[in-house]
This record gives sequence, structure tokens and C-alpha cells, in this order.
Amino acid sequence: MLIAVILVLAALGGGYFLFGRASDPFRGMSPLPVQDYLQNSNSLRGNSYKLDGVIGQSLQWSPTVGRLFSVEVNGEVLPILVPPKFNSVNIEKGQRFFFLIKVEDHGILSAEDVKKS
Amino acid sequence: MRTFSPENLRLIAWGASLLLASTSIAQVPDAPGGPAPAAGGGATATAPAAQPAAQNGAGGGQKGGSFLGKDVPSFDPGTEIMTWDGKNWNVNNNRLFQARFEKYLNAPEETTAVDRQYQTVINNLLTLLAPGNATTQNIDAAFRLLPRGSSFDIDARLCDSIADAVYSAWRAQNAQNRLASANDALDSELKQEYWNAQHASVMDGSREASSTGSSSRQKGGGKAQSNNQAYEDTMLQTEHTKRIAEIEAVKKANSVKRELNSIQAKVEFQALILQFFLQRRFQHVLIATRFYRAVFTDGDTKLNVGKDTKDLFEKSSGLPPTVGTIDSMANEALRDVREGVQAYNFLLEKKELESATKRLAEAFTVGEFVPEIRTLPREKKRQALQFTQKTNQLISAIDVKDYTLAESLVKELGVIAKDFDSSKPMAAIDTSKQISDMHLAKARNAALKGDNATLEAELTAATELWPRNPALAELSKKIFQTGDIQQKAVIDFEQLLSQKNYRQIYDDRARFIGALAFYPDKAAKLKEVLDNVQTIEVALMRADEMVRQSNYPGAWESVEKIAQQFPDDTKLSKTRADLTPRAADFVATLQDAKEAEKRDQIGSSLAYYLKARKIYPASDFAGEGVDRLVKKIVPDNNN
Repeated sequence: MLIAVILVLAALGGGYFLFGRASDPFRGMSPLPVQDYLQNSNSLRGNSYKLDGVIGQSLQWSPTVGRLFSVEVNGEVLPILVPPKFNSVNIEKGQRFFFLIKVEDHGILSAEDVKKS
Repeated sequence: MRTFSPENLRLIAWGASLLLASTSIAQVPDAPGGPAPAAGGGATATAPAAQPAAQNGAGGGQKGGSFLGKDVPSFDPGTEIMTWDGKNWNVNNNRLFQARFEKYLNAPEETTAVDRQYQTVINNLLTLLAPGNATTQNIDAAFRLLPRGSSFDIDARLCDSIADAVYSAWRAQNAQNRLASANDALDSELKQEYWNAQHASVMDGSREASSTGSSSRQKGGGKAQSNNQAYEDTMLQTEHTKRIAEIEAVKKANSVKRELNSIQAKVEFQALILQFFLQRRFQHVLIATRFYRAVFTDGDTKLNVGKDTKDLFEKSSGLPPTVGTIDSMANEALRDVREGVQAYNFLLEKKELESATKRLAEAFTVGEFVPEIRTLPREKKRQALQFTQKTNQLISAIDVKDYTLAESLVKELGVIAKDFDSSKPMAAIDTSKQISDMHLAKARNAALKGDNATLEAELTAATELWPRNPALAELSKKIFQTGDIQQKAVIDFEQLLSQKNYRQIYDDRARFIGALAFYPDKAAKLKEVLDNVQTIEVALMRADEMVRQSNYPGAWESVEKIAQQFPDDTKLSKTRADLTPRAADFVATLQDAKEAEKRDQIGSSLAYYLKARKIYPASDFAGEGVDRLVKKIVPDNNN
């Protein structure tokens, strides 16, 4: 009986683990060190990171440059530029997205991939 | 009412003017300066006793050979203006007259026993000398009363003067009698001389001898003796003829002396009568004229006066100057004075003090020594005195342009005198006050405009019109105070401006606005300062409101924006310092955003601005930062 309970719990824990691994589309990437970025973005320039956040508002849009969104990440608000190649993706306020971002010049966060969670 | 003709008034006022002017009042007519009677024939002329006229002398009053100076005085009753010696004055507004009149008004009535005794003597004199009573006995009795009259102080020994004049006239008449006797003796001697001369021519030695009363020697016959006798007769006849001529000459001389004595006595008596008249001693005039008629019984009453005086009498009375004219005018004057006093008493009862005082002044001018004037009770006179004093004060107040006092006096006079005509003084007062106030208004406007030239001119004009204008003193005080305040305010403003202490300027803005109005450049600077501080104040008020709503980031931002423009404002700095800790997150986030922007870290800077806007969504600082950086990231937007 005890063994059976242990097996059930193990099965549930394993399932959760497997589910989490399976919902992060960029599970191989490092998350953006937000505080480091805020203090000195130049130090992260050229790096790519994954970022999981909720869309705040659309700050700007340009057909050539793309869309600029504010994204709330762990209490901070970061601007993320979504290039035009992702114009087909509907991004709306309050939606949670996974971003693969690259720290460009001047610390601009540019999305390399966008996945809706 | 008054029957005294203007001409008579003129004459009497003329006499009054003489008295008031303290000139010699003894008018001496053109006295023939005849010599004293010669002693021919034993007749000795007696020099008349000293006469008052002679005592007073004539020289004092005669200047430039004209009667009493340069001109004959004249009085216009219509305007009450006296003209004399080239000067004009109102008889009711003359210092000497006022002084004399006020002295009279303050004097007690002369109703003592002594005064009554004196009037009794004067009345007795007039009664004894009255036409119909003037018998020799009465005249002698009157003459004996004269010393009694002069013993009273009020008489001023004028009765003595009359007595002297009468006595002198009588002495002169005695001298004439003696001259007449001398001429009688001369006539007898003349007849004898004529007889002697006639008989000497016919060689009647015996007759001549008998006629002369001396023994004549008989001469012997013979031719030589005859020739000698003829020669002697001729010489004797010549001697008689010469003596006749001498006697005739002496007789003629005595006749002339008699005539001169008579004229001189009359002239001196007339001079005394005129003197009394001019002194306004009308009772004495009547006494003197009645004595004159009693003494000089020849019916010749024509006054022997100078041409000026004669003309004056003829022009004023229309009659030649005679003792009778003087007498009637004196009677008329006495009646007029009595009537004036009656009118005064009546008007006093009616509380018409202005008219009453004028009537009394007129009566006093004419009849200062008339019993009715002298016996008027002091209590009655003092009512006129009160009115006179106030009118004199009113005249003085208007003279010195003290219209406040003048107005007050006019009101007082209106109360005490029902008939006081306040229209003229009030017109003068109101006109002057209004014009003065107009000048003051102009001065006030000039002061506001900083037009000092006009200010000075208008103040001068206002001062000349009404020196004691209370508004003038008030305005002057304000102007001086304003001047001081203004200068100090200008200095303070410049000092505060140099210290950038705009807050102090704002706090004292009321003082500076008024003071700097005359300085356009400084006023513009002041306006700028006040506008700036007003902006600060608005920001501070807004911040206060936000603090009340616990919107500290908003309050801080409101202050911070203004603080950038006015970093030297102490109040703003203090508020800013107070709010900074309360909005620490917001302030720190904005600060981080600015620093990151400075380092050209646009992404992180935008992140900070976005965070700041999350803290205070209405933040202008955050919004502007977001907009600015968004444009940098997405420059080709279509919005």
C-alpha cells in the first residue's frame, strides 16, 4: 500500500516536471538577468536571452522597424522590440509571451523569437 | 427814517475823519492879520485873550498850502468809503475807527450823578441862550455857568474856550469903544486946527491967541514989521495945515483898526464854533452860536472861512457858510444821532444785529459825544461789540485766507444776527475752497504721474488760495511720506533683486507695485518676478493638494519641474527637499533613467522611464522620457 502511494506521488511529480519542461519553448536559453541589464545594458550587448513576461502596452509601431512593447517581467517593465517578421503574431495587452531576445546596441532588447505561452 | 442828507453825512464824516486821523482840528479861517489898534489919540488896543483856535494852531493841519493836507476829505455814503489825502477806507472797516468804536462799546454808560449834573448845566446853558430867552441877564447867567460846565472832566474845558471867546469879543468891543472916543477927541482937535488955520491966514493974531489960550505979543507998526508978520502967519498956517493932515491920518487909522478889531473878534469866535463842529461837540456848537448872536448883534453871521471850507459848505449844504448854517447842522446831527440810537434799540430787540451795529456805528461816528450815545447801557452795547468782534474776525480770517475759521464765524454770525448776510462771505469762501480743491486734485494727479513741475505749481496755487486747507496739509504729508516710502521701496527692490530673493519681493509686492509705478523698467522687472513667484506658488499649491491625496510622486514632480526654473527659491527648495524622501522610488527611478539615458543606454533608460510611469502614470517626466526614447528606438513611426 505504501509502495503504491509512493509510486503515485512519484508519477505526479514526474508528470509536473515533464509538463514544465515541455511548456518553455526556449528551455535551452538563459533568462535575461534583468537587474544587470538595468544597471548596465552595454555589458550584455550581443547576448541572447529568453524572457517570460506579460505584455503591458504597445509603445510604438513601425512597418519597417517593428512593434515596441512594454513587458512586465518580475516587477520590472522592459521595452521589447518585436521586428516585422513577427507581424503575424497577435500580441495584446495582458497576454503572456516567451521571448527569445538579443541585447542590441544601446541596450535595446530585440525579439528573435516570440512564443505565446 | 434817516433825513440826514448824504451831503451832511459827508461833512460830518469829514469832521470825524479829522478826529480819527488825529490831525489838528482847529481850522483857522483866513484871518485878516491886521495890526493892533494904534495908540494914536491915547487909544490902546488890547490883544485878545488866547483863543483855543490859536492855541491849537493851524499849521499842523495845513500842508502844501491846502486845506488839511493835499485834498479835502470826502465820504461816499453809498459805499461807506472815506477818501482823504489820496487814501480810501471803509468807515466801518478801519482800524482806528474799529478801535475807537470797540472802546466805546466796552465803556460803561455815563449815567452817574456827575454825568447828570454836567448835562443839567449844558441844558441850562442851552435854555438860557435859547432864542427868546437871550436877555442880557440870561446871557450873563449863561456866561457865569460856563466855568461850572468846564469843571466837568467830560467837557474837556470846552466851556472855558467859549467863555474865553466871549470875553475876548467883549474886550474887543471895549477897544472899539475906546477907539471911538479917541476919534471924538481927534475931531475936536481937528476943528480947532481948522479954525486956527483959517485965522492965521487973515493975520488975526488976537483970535489965534484967544483960540490957543496964550498971550500974543503986539508988534509995532511999520513996513518991516508988516513983512515979518506976514511971514510968520504963513508959517503958522502951514503948521496948522500939517497938523490937520496928521489928525486926519490918525482918525483914518483908528477907523481901520476898529474895523479890523471887529472882524478879528468874529473870526476867532467863528473858528471856535467850527472847531466844535468838527469835533462833533454839537451841544457846544449850539451854545457858542447862541453866544455869538448875543455878542455880535450887528446881524453879520457870515463865516469868514477859506475858499476850500467855503466850497465844502456850499457844496454840502447848498448854502453859504454862516453861523446859522452851522447851528442848524448841529441840531440836525443831534436829532440824527438820537434817531440812530432809537433804531439801534429797536433792531436789537429784533435780533437784527448787523443793521443794529451799523446804525450804532453811524450814530457813534456822527455823535460820539451826544448824550444819547454816551448814556447807552453797556449791556446793550456789548451785543453790538460781540457782533463787531466776530465780523472783524471774519474779515481778518478772510484776509489771511483761513476759510475754515471764516466759515465757522459766518455760521456763528448767522446765529447771533438774524439779518447777517452770509452770501458774500460764503461765496468768497466757497469759491476759494473749490478752486483750492481743484488745484489739489490736479496736484494729486501730478503726484501719481510723477510730474513734479505740475505738482509744485498746483500745490503753490492751492496754498495761495487757501493756506490752511486741511486737505492741503494731508496731501503734503502723504506726498512727503510717499516720497520717503517710494525711495526706500526702490532701494529695497534693487537689493532683493540682486540677492535673487524673489520670495521677499513677492511677499512685499503691495509696497513695490505702488513704489515702482514711476519707474517703467523696474516695474517690468517686478512684474516678471511676481509672475515667476506666482507660478511657483501655483506649483506649490498643486503639490500640497497632491500630498493631501498621498500622491507624493505627483507632488514631487510638480515641485521639481518648477525647481528647475527657479532653483533659488527657498520655499520651493524646502518643499522639494521635504517631498523627495516621500517619493523616493519614483525619484530614484527617474534618476536612474536619466543616468542611463546620459550613458546612451536607451533600452535600460526606457525601462526605467516605463517603471517610473508605472509608479506615477501621470508623470510628465516619465511620459516625456518614454516618448523621447521610443522615437529613438522606432524613429520612422507613422503617428
